[in-house]
Amino acid sequence: MPDLIFALLSGVVGSLIIAVIPQVRNRLRNFAVLFFCAAGTFFSWRVAIAVFAGESAEISGEIGGFPFVLSPDPLGAVFGLIASTLWLFAAVYSFGYMAGKNRQRSYFTFFLLALSATLGVAFSGNLIALYLFYELLTFATYPLVIHERSAEAMKAGKRYILYSLSGAGAILIAIVVTYSLTGNVDFSGEPILAGHRSSGLNFLLILFIIGFGVKAAIMPLHRWLPAAMVAPTPVSALLHAVAVVYSGAYGILRVVYSVFGQELMRTLSFRYIFSWVIAFTILAGVIIATRQDIMKLRLAYQTVSHLSYILLGAFTLQPWGLAGAVMHMISYSMLKITLFFCAGIISEHSGKTRVSSMGGIGRQFPETMAAFGVATLGMIGMLPLNTFWGKYYLMKGSVAAGMWPFALVLTGSGIINAVCFIPVVVNAFRGEKAHTNSGQKTGVALMLAPTLILVVIALFTGLWPGMVWPAVQAVVNWYF
Amino acid sequence: MLFVILPVIPLIGVLLLLLKRNRAINLPFVAGITVLVLGSLGLKSVFAGNGLTFRLPLPGPFQPTFQADPLSAILVILTAFLFFVVSVYTPKYMKHEGGIKGFEACMLLTFSAVLGVFTAGDLVTMLLFFELMTITSCFWVIHRWNEEAIRAVFFYLFFSIIGGLFLGLGIVMMGAATDVLPAVGGGVVIPSDSKKFVLSMVLLVAGFGIKAGMVPLHLWLPHAHSAAPAPGSALLSGLLIKVGAYGLIRVGEFAGWGIRMESELNRMGPVLSVLGVCTMVAGVTAALLQSDAKRLLAYHSVSQMGYIILSLGIAVFMGADGGLALTGAVYHIVNHALFKAALFLGVGVIYIHTNETNLYKLGGLWRHFPVTAALMLPAVLGIAGAPGFNGYASKTMMHHAVSAAAKTGTGWMLWVERLFTMVGVGTAASFTKLYYLMFLGKPAGIKVAKNRAHSLQIAMGLLAVVMIAIGVVPQLFPDIAAIPAVQALGMENASNTLAGISFWNFSDIFSMLITLILGMLVCWIGLKSGVFHRQPPSWLTLEGLGKLAGQGILALSNKAAELYGSVVKCIRNSGSMMIRRIYSVLGKFGQNRNSTTGGVTLSWISADTALIIIALAFLIVWYTLINPGLSEQRLIYMWIDN
Repeated sequence: MPDLIFALLSGVVGSLIIAVIPQVRNRLRNFAVLFFCAAGTFFSWRVAIAVFAGESAEISGEIGGFPFVLSPDPLGAVFGLIASTLWLFAAVYSFGYMAGKNRQRSYFTFFLLALSATLGVAFSGNLIALYLFYELLTFATYPLVIHERSAEAMKAGKRYILYSLSGAGAILIAIVVTYSLTGNVDFSGEPILAGHRSSGLNFLLILFIIGFGVKAAIMPLHRWLPAAMVAPTPVSALLHAVAVVYSGAYGILRVVYSVFGQELMRTLSFRYIFSWVIAFTILAGVIIATRQDIMKLRLAYQTVSHLSYILLGAFTLQPWGLAGAVMHMISYSMLKITLFFCAGIISEHSGKTRVSSMGGIGRQFPETMAAFGVATLGMIGMLPLNTFWGKYYLMKGSVAAGMWPFALVLTGSGIINAVCFIPVVVNAFRGEKAHTNSGQKTGVALMLAPTLILVVIALFTGLWPGMVWPAVQAVVNWYF
Repeated sequence: MLFVILPVIPLIGVLLLLLKRNRAINLPFVAGITVLVLGSLGLKSVFAGNGLTFRLPLPGPFQPTFQADPLSAILVILTAFLFFVVSVYTPKYMKHEGGIKGFEACMLLTFSAVLGVFTAGDLVTMLLFFELMTITSCFWVIHRWNEEAIRAVFFYLFFSIIGGLFLGLGIVMMGAATDVLPAVGGGVVIPSDSKKFVLSMVLLVAGFGIKAGMVPLHLWLPHAHSAAPAPGSALLSGLLIKVGAYGLIRVGEFAGWGIRMESELNRMGPVLSVLGVCTMVAGVTAALLQSDAKRLLAYHSVSQMGYIILSLGIAVFMGADGGLALTGAVYHIVNHALFKAALFLGVGVIYIHTNETNLYKLGGLWRHFPVTAALMLPAVLGIAGAPGFNGYASKTMMHHAVSAAAKTGTGWMLWVERLFTMVGVGTAASFTKLYYLMFLGKPAGIKVAKNRAHSLQIAMGLLAVVMIAIGVVPQLFPDIAAIPAVQALGMENASNTLAGISFWNFSDIFSMLITLILGMLVCWIGLKSGVFHRQPPSWLTLEGLGKLAGQGILALSNKAAELYGSVVKCIRNSGSMMIRRIYSVLGKFGQNRNSTTGGVTLSWISADTALIIIALAFLIVWYTLINPGLSEQRLIYMWIDN
């Protein structure tokens, strides 16, 4: 219980403190950021360990007559773990990336505030709390998206806020409908809508999916995500490949398993439609990615595709599928953030953002491109990397659910991922070895270290998936 | 149980390689000989019939398991021997190409991965090492970093990755079909869902088939194997494609060797046979048209893998009588590894001294390289199947198996037999061409570097000794190794089917000699008439077709993107137009009284008045026309009620 409060507060308190640290005190600010990120990570690990051990912590209150509950369950704990741990890595990376840049104070203030919002989403115990933190996350990340304040950034920010708020509006309506149907919005215990039988629930499902699907970037609702890539790279990496988009995917997992429940979901005919939309997103996202020349856009469209892996796992309504979804959440986040980190290192130190100009870049940044290559193999779903296990259980779940075409879709997506990124890696290493080491900014070590550590962790968990298996199993046991 | 340290030994070697500064010790050599000695000693008991298994007790869903049965043992020892031989060859050769440290590191890693595949005890462990092997060996392919190597590595990686993904999907299907994933070497699987089982078999065969260079999935092979440096080519062609064949044998084990397969699965035999024959014919035809020595050898790898796949198909087709075919396949795996490695190493010797692999620019080199020429001869004769050399033994066995299958009266099997003989002729022709153009023939005016390195010849000599030994005593290998292996796989009466085979009978030797002579004749005609220089039109080759298909897909996707773009633009335009219209109309309601809306009809009436009038008109129309029975009284009542 105190752990939960500390985990949630560390971000808010940290951001308040950083807001008052003067603009020029960079070292003090970096120290404070690191401290509060580490605190958030530490306490969310403690929360998660307690949750996996079967204990429950709950904070409940009332907002405007509605119950407001924070009570992490295994799924939330997993999301909290992923977010807070990667936040720490992104914080260290940000120190290198932001060194010598303007507006560091506002950057780190909202960086930490977003941590609290994400953990709030993760640990929320009912729909009201989830909704509030989900909205808060939008507002906390908006300043990060428009950090550059360029015309393009402002436009992207506008699109981001419009998409997110329309989605949140849909969720609000859906929550009101749910509340009026059941008088209950609590995640603990039985699914909220369990026992209701009505074809009208299909439309409620649409509202929920549209609402969370905006952040999860399901295909017609994905356009804010590539636009938001104008943000600084650590923000793109963390918020737009992990935290923000995961809050959408997490919301859909919640809707499917905690609001509707798998028994009710099985009776809803619209889940087939959504499954096909998701399958379309998986393939279309990565196909569009192959046609992008700007590296971050390519990665963004790949994100669109890979987020739908998680949703596909949710919609299989099978223990294996859910295990795959959780596994993919854990493993994909590590590797995607690595890819973004690598793209950031290259764009910062060589100024190259386009794939077509990256020939021979690997000679200049061998470690970076090696990490990029390993992460690419993970995106394809090859074995020494942990994403294989996510994909493996997703395919297992699809086949077990009788939806074997989706297993083919996942395989096909792996092939297109290879087409998309293998040439980048190979071309990066062609040509002569660069002897000049010019243009190396300070802070490359700070950016490289988190990248390489993440790759090593990904390799290690790939060889020994048992390391993250208790978390996956806890989630599966919770719902099945 | 201690056999699991075998894949670890090369890994220790890699660590040492990365740590040490001076290059006094040849670490792949040390690792190779250690594994060879430990493997032969440790795995001896396997042939007596007690298989080894080991499970790494990790908590979690994945517990790597390892197993060793006679087939694994044969391939482990073969792997160790080949790596040992190639490690003798590598230092001198790589001095010419450069980048020896990276090459040796990849060599050790690949060594470990290959050993892992051969000792893997379940499909996921196998896939793990399979993928590792792909990744580590692609550095051989790309070693030269020129255009050709990069092209080759794209081919290699894409095909291998697709193969790996197929295997992954196949494993998933297998898991769905059998509830518990079957162990490798665990014998026949009784599926609970036969449809998924068949699907999984197809996927696994395709996945391993890509590695084995099965038509039409062989396109990567000639590029990759000819782009790598010679020691890399020797290992790729000699060993790494055998991983595909090994996988096919293991997949066959799930369906059951030596038993008639049920329902859909009994088509597997004919399908594999036909694929094998296609692979043989396609490989040998393409090889005859090559002018580059390494590409010629690479296409022959395709063709020789076709022999192995055909034998596996016939073993399935013949059911319990398939022992001969399966033994022949295992035997040919070993033989092909030996002579193909020797051939690539030989061509490598020529390459580092002349910088040339184009056959038409070489010639008369036996004067410069008498030892190499002499050491190449057993390999050339072996692959052509000359009696007294190692290829003869396995080819004879496979030929007997094909004849036996043809005798069952199946019409297409007769054609398989004819094609088998013709491919033999083609192979003989092709290697006559290779040897003639390279070592005999007119001396070409090519500059030959002087420095001779003995370690190159020692490596080839080691291979030649083994090849000749096998050729002279052809029964030895089946008796001590291949038959126990095949029996362990489930072909119980393999020794019976082999009992009638004698390698030194007149008809076999005679037919082989006829094949050789015909081959030389074909080669002579081909060289004289210039047929070998013909290049087939691009639409006839698979690669050309693939390129056309790729262009088609690209054009289609361009069109699709265009269409998508125009649709999005259309929607966006119409949407923004609608919103603008609505804004402009709504905006008028907020304006002052003297501005108007609606143009002519509503002129001089302010917008809110217009709204009230419209609302009133609507109400009047509603209550008079649509609901005529409604009177004023009821309206009043409604008011009163409220």
